[in-house]
Amino acid sequence: MKLLTCPVNGTRPLSEFIFGGEWRDAPDQNTCTDAQWAAYVHNRHGAPGDKKEWWYHSPSGTWFIAERNTLTDKVARTYLCGKQSVVQEESK
Amino acid sequence: MSMRMPKQTGEWVNRTKAIKFTFEGEEYSAFEGDTISSALWAAGQQVLGRSFKYHRPRGVLSFANHDVNVMLTDGQDTNMRGDVVEVQDGMQLQVVNTDGGVKKDRNSYIDSISPILPVGFYYKAFHTPRRLFPFWENIIRKAAGLGITNFNYPRILKRKRNDYCDVLVIGAGPSGLTAALVAAQAGLEVIVVDENRRAGGSLTYDRAGTEEARTQLEELLVKVANDGNISLRTGAYAAGYYADHLIPIVEAGGITKIRARSVIVASGAFEQPPVFRYNDLPGVMLGSAAQRMIYRYGVKPFNNGLVFTANDYGYRVALDLLDAGVKLVAVVDLRAEGKGAPLAAELAHRGVKIYAGYCVYEALATPKKFGVRGAVICSYDEKENVALTDNAITIECDGIAMCAGWAPAAALLYQAGTGMRYESAVQQFVPEKLPVGMFAAGKVNGIFDFEQRMFDGARAGADAIKYLGLEAPQVSVTQHSGVSPSHAYPVVPHPKGKNFVDFDEDIQVKDFVNAAQEGFDNIELMKRFTTVGMGPSQGKHSNMNAIRILARIRGLPVEKIGTTTSRPFFHPTPIGHLGGRGFHPHRFTALHGWHEDAGAVFVDVGAWTRAAYYSKPGLSKQDAVQEEAMAVRRNAGIIDSSSFGKIEVHGADAALFLERFFAGGFVSQQVGESRYALMIDDTGVLVDDGIASRLAPDLFYLSVGTSNAAAIYREMQRSQQQWQLDIALVNVTGAYGTINVAGPAAREIVSGLTSLDLSESAFPLGSIREAEVAGVPARVLRVGFVSEQTYEIHIPAASSQHVWNALLTAGKPHQLRPYGTEAQRLLRLEMGNHMPGVDTDGLTNPYEVGAEWAIKMDKPFFTGQRSLVIVAKRPLKKRLVAFMLGEGFKGEMPQECNLVIDSGEIGGRVTSISYSKSIGRVIGLAYVNPLKKSPGSEFQIRTDNGSLVSAVVTKTPFFKTQKGG
Amino acid sequence: MPLRLLKFALTKGHPAPRFFRACETPKKSYDVVIIGGGGHGLAAAYYLAKDHGITNVAVLERGYIGGGNTGRNTTIVRSNYLTPEGVNFYDASVKIYEGLSEELDLNLFYSTRGHFTLAHTESAMRTMRWRAEVNKHVGVDSRVVGPDEIAKACPQLDMSCSGKAPILGALYHSPGSVARHDGVAWGYARGADRHGVEIFQNTEVLGIDVQGGKVAGVKTNKGYIATTKVLSAVAGFTPRVTEMVGLETPIVIHPLQACVSEPVKPWLDTILVSGSLHVYLSQSSRGELVMGSSLDPYEVHSTRSSLDFVEGLTSHMLDMFPFLSNIKIVRQWGGMADMTPDFAPIMGKTPIEGFYLDAGWGTWGFKATPISGKTMAETIANDRAPDLIHSFRLSRFEDYELTGEKGAASVGH
Repeated sequence: MKLLTCPVNGTRPLSEFIFGGEWRDAPDQNTCTDAQWAAYVHNRHGAPGDKKEWWYHSPSGTWFIAERNTLTDKVARTYLCGKQSVVQEESK
Repeated sequence: MSMRMPKQTGEWVNRTKAIKFTFEGEEYSAFEGDTISSALWAAGQQVLGRSFKYHRPRGVLSFANHDVNVMLTDGQDTNMRGDVVEVQDGMQLQVVNTDGGVKKDRNSYIDSISPILPVGFYYKAFHTPRRLFPFWENIIRKAAGLGITNFNYPRILKRKRNDYCDVLVIGAGPSGLTAALVAAQAGLEVIVVDENRRAGGSLTYDRAGTEEARTQLEELLVKVANDGNISLRTGAYAAGYYADHLIPIVEAGGITKIRARSVIVASGAFEQPPVFRYNDLPGVMLGSAAQRMIYRYGVKPFNNGLVFTANDYGYRVALDLLDAGVKLVAVVDLRAEGKGAPLAAELAHRGVKIYAGYCVYEALATPKKFGVRGAVICSYDEKENVALTDNAITIECDGIAMCAGWAPAAALLYQAGTGMRYESAVQQFVPEKLPVGMFAAGKVNGIFDFEQRMFDGARAGADAIKYLGLEAPQVSVTQHSGVSPSHAYPVVPHPKGKNFVDFDEDIQVKDFVNAAQEGFDNIELMKRFTTVGMGPSQGKHSNMNAIRILARIRGLPVEKIGTTTSRPFFHPTPIGHLGGRGFHPHRFTALHGWHEDAGAVFVDVGAWTRAAYYSKPGLSKQDAVQEEAMAVRRNAGIIDSSSFGKIEVHGADAALFLERFFAGGFVSQQVGESRYALMIDDTGVLVDDGIASRLAPDLFYLSVGTSNAAAIYREMQRSQQQWQLDIALVNVTGAYGTINVAGPAAREIVSGLTSLDLSESAFPLGSIREAEVAGVPARVLRVGFVSEQTYEIHIPAASSQHVWNALLTAGKPHQLRPYGTEAQRLLRLEMGNHMPGVDTDGLTNPYEVGAEWAIKMDKPFFTGQRSLVIVAKRPLKKRLVAFMLGEGFKGEMPQECNLVIDSGEIGGRVTSISYSKSIGRVIGLAYVNPLKKSPGSEFQIRTDNGSLVSAVVTKTPFFKTQKGG
Repeated sequence: MPLRLLKFALTKGHPAPRFFRACETPKKSYDVVIIGGGGHGLAAAYYLAKDHGITNVAVLERGYIGGGNTGRNTTIVRSNYLTPEGVNFYDASVKIYEGLSEELDLNLFYSTRGHFTLAHTESAMRTMRWRAEVNKHVGVDSRVVGPDEIAKACPQLDMSCSGKAPILGALYHSPGSVARHDGVAWGYARGADRHGVEIFQNTEVLGIDVQGGKVAGVKTNKGYIATTKVLSAVAGFTPRVTEMVGLETPIVIHPLQACVSEPVKPWLDTILVSGSLHVYLSQSSRGELVMGSSLDPYEVHSTRSSLDFVEGLTSHMLDMFPFLSNIKIVRQWGGMADMTPDFAPIMGKTPIEGFYLDAGWGTWGFKATPISGKTMAETIANDRAPDLIHSFRLSRFEDYELTGEKGAASVGH
């Protein structure tokens, strides 16, 4: 089991967290084509590498963003959505 | 003949406590502390097992759990490892996988037909003609497996613990203990684990005939015992490495999951057998096995022994054998330069004949291959790997100790992602690039000299200290130089084979040659084709030789061959240890006890346990459910709905939030009004639904179905994180109890308990009011899910029983009775209401259930909106309709998920169906071709027995209500 | 003993030739390049050569053949899916499997044991009936059975699951089988090789040359290979390959783990799956209990093992078989599953001309090996996907026409 750092509750075992999938920037739904929208909702950037992801700390009900490398499974930093400046560097 | 020696200093047996046990029906005695193998060997019993494939007799090989020659059952347990399992008084032991006992195994004929069982033989035969394969498979299947599973074995769940430390040291040999001492002296908390019953590693058996090792060990153990920062745990193996230094430690009593800040692997090395014909006979054992036998158990390995060595270690073993009173008939050294070994002179001085540049060409077996009667030795051309048999000589002996070198016990290092390289100075893989926070010391690190191993331990301890941010002195270690502790190629060819590489799987040298010839010349393919390393010991004694043999076959250096992947577990680990206690949480409502007393039959809904129906003597489930439903239609029923998800949305933007989260409109919603809320996901799929009630301009109270509530709340939280609206979400599911009173008499029953005006005009369907019910502050909703006359009463959970009782009392004159989820499902079906998850699946879009009315497409945004724009343009493929079967229907009753058949093809399926007593018909919901959605259309359902039943699409509700229908 | 084994005893040398040639350096060009030397890629190569006479084919394998999910899965073969499209497709695969040992002249130990998907809840029972009805409609033998029939087939099973999840019934699927996974890869490799296909191990694709929307070649660690047709059959590596051609798909990689026990004398004759307890289980011809569970809960491109997995799996094993407390787990391992949102594969043509995709095999790829090879070979040969795989086309996502197999695929391997 890995450890993950919740920006609110600190470093906790992974079993307390739920993976919420890749963060995807939505196209403007009023101007995008159907195909663009279909790609947004269905497709994922599946290749390994650094990703922005949703994670949920279940006991406290905290959603946050983790920047994680999906190849090495190392988390670079975690922060609340929209609060990139308040960052939890992943501890050793 | 007893092989028990006089008491040895430091031995692991307690000679004051005698034990009796039986093996294969015969009685034996032992001392407390003996393992099964040591006890039997002491009694002169050498045939301790049969091999997996050829059923050859086997004895002790590693005596260290690196092989599975000795596998037994006590009638309870299935695969007991005799080399390490302590014998207990009264044990009745049998060898596994024999037909007729270990001495009379009827399957031993397989050894003589081995020429027709070449490597991978099972791929090459038995499949043509096809019809005969089941016959052959049956025979092969009978031969498979080792022990017999005991179906009466008790369900034992071992305890689990969590532990933490600064430094976890794996292996309590000289390097591990030194590392621990150094780290502990720096103030770090250290845990040392070792799989052996006692600490000390090689110091417990490798003595070369002197007392030095024993005193060194005693000194170390005293220091460790006096250091309060060290927790030493023996009989505890590190089972595997998992991310972020999580290492499960397995002991007899259970598992301790240790999360370490740093890890020092000082796990030593497995001694590797040289490969020669009949190296598997009982009486041929590894040198370290012979040493363990002598010093740990006081048992003589053999009487007239021969040492076959390919390194200097064999000379230490020879001295230990002499010390034990073994007559040494010869030391045979594969190396021409062997005579220069430091201890050779001492051996020669003691009259031992040394044959350097010689090999054991083959071991000679006593009848039935039960033991060793001699060895054929001859000169050996190391460079060409040829045994020069011209002047071979036969030496009589009753046992052979084998020393050829070592393979690092590096399983955890590999699992942690250590980059290993092949170091020719020690002819062994050693760590090159260690993961962050991991260190290696001692033999696993390629350091063999005793003093240097201590230094290496100190160095690793210092590295861990520095890694953890403290200061530590520099320790220098001299890398191995001189003669390699491992021989580069200790494999003696023999035209007749039976020179074993893998003792678990009976794999001989020629199997590798033949596998390579067939194209399996990559280490992983070779493993898979020959099954080398795939047995229960997972290659501990065989992988290194396999790599060497493949390298030789391909003419490549060993490092080009690489290794197979190491995986947990280090030793096979019992399911009862790993499983531990199961965790199956259930949530009960505050009224659970009442339901139990009332004869409720429960059903799990998500995490909740709900009353499905109330059983009544003499009534079938079906009838009980119909009665409960009839009560609601005729008078009134009451149900505990406390498991419903309840979420409060507070704040100025509360309506806006719902407007974005759900498909309907909420901004225009009046205080006191309740609205249907439909949740659509990004891709346009209908996820769930609920009721959103406005309690104040800035407060909505949302109730959703039981099973999905947690997920919906989670998604609401996520949306809020993105949208950052001026709201707050509170999950009050557990805080409120929910009771529904439904039926024509519901209004009268509830009105007696509240001052609320329940008249139709003051409190119409689709509204919410706050008032006291039975003296308890409550939120009361008028909902229409099961009946138009339903009051859903939300009260603080702790008051649930009080309000429930008050309602029951008030309802008595009206024949109010409780109903469960089964009746609820029937009642909502009578109303024509679909249930997400029952009448929808993971891909259902809202148009398919006719929910257009609940979607407000002209809003600026809601989740799923853009996808619905696309979905709406596409032709509808199926449509949920309500249907009835014919009056007095008597045929095969269709079941939920029976198919709707349309011109021979699948047209849809039944999602809900039930007989309704109040309607007098079988009614249901089904997906049909959208062309058939109009009331009056007929369609066919295929029942379980294949018959087709006609159904007619019907308007809902199925019965007459105030609003018509 | 079969006579054909006698020749090994009577011949001095080992009378068996190489399964496939040791190809080292690829030619400058091929008619078709197949990326991925697993069961799927090798089967496609075999059928390209055998059914369509296209033999100028290179199979490029980054490691060794069959070393990916072919050699890591728990070898269950079945066709009891949920959608008619799925059932038809997997049924075609089962039919090929049944004669495959003979066709490839290699004993794949294709062993038909019967497959029980246990239902512990009413809603699971509904899904079982749904699958049974669809299966029956298509002509596949599946039916809903009660506890008695399950207990008869597996008397050791605790029908109450230690009181925690009583078994209400099951979907019984008589054609359910297991096979020797390595043999499938090796057999197809040998078959393809004998038809002239060249198989390159230790050959990694570094890029795909696309010019004007068409495939022009493949860059490898052994040089450039010109070709107009490339098949990607790389399971867990799919996103890396599709990225090379700039194609985005719904595929995400989740590890799927499994483990085996020590060998014990065979007692479990059937294949068991429990969705509620997240367990699937069979006993191999070596006597090992082969066990798997659900997917790992988050995306990671790794075959690492986790302790959570084996703790969860074994605790549920004990619920089903309380007497296994002291049976030991020897080894756990993992594979990378290329998951799709609807649990159905992605097969066929792509917007890039000459780039064909055989992917999205998630946790269910092994059972489809023969039919995916056959249909992808047909797709490449005709540049048109056969009707059998129309529902699995990549464009179904843009069309919002997903093929919902989740109910039949999750923990259903």
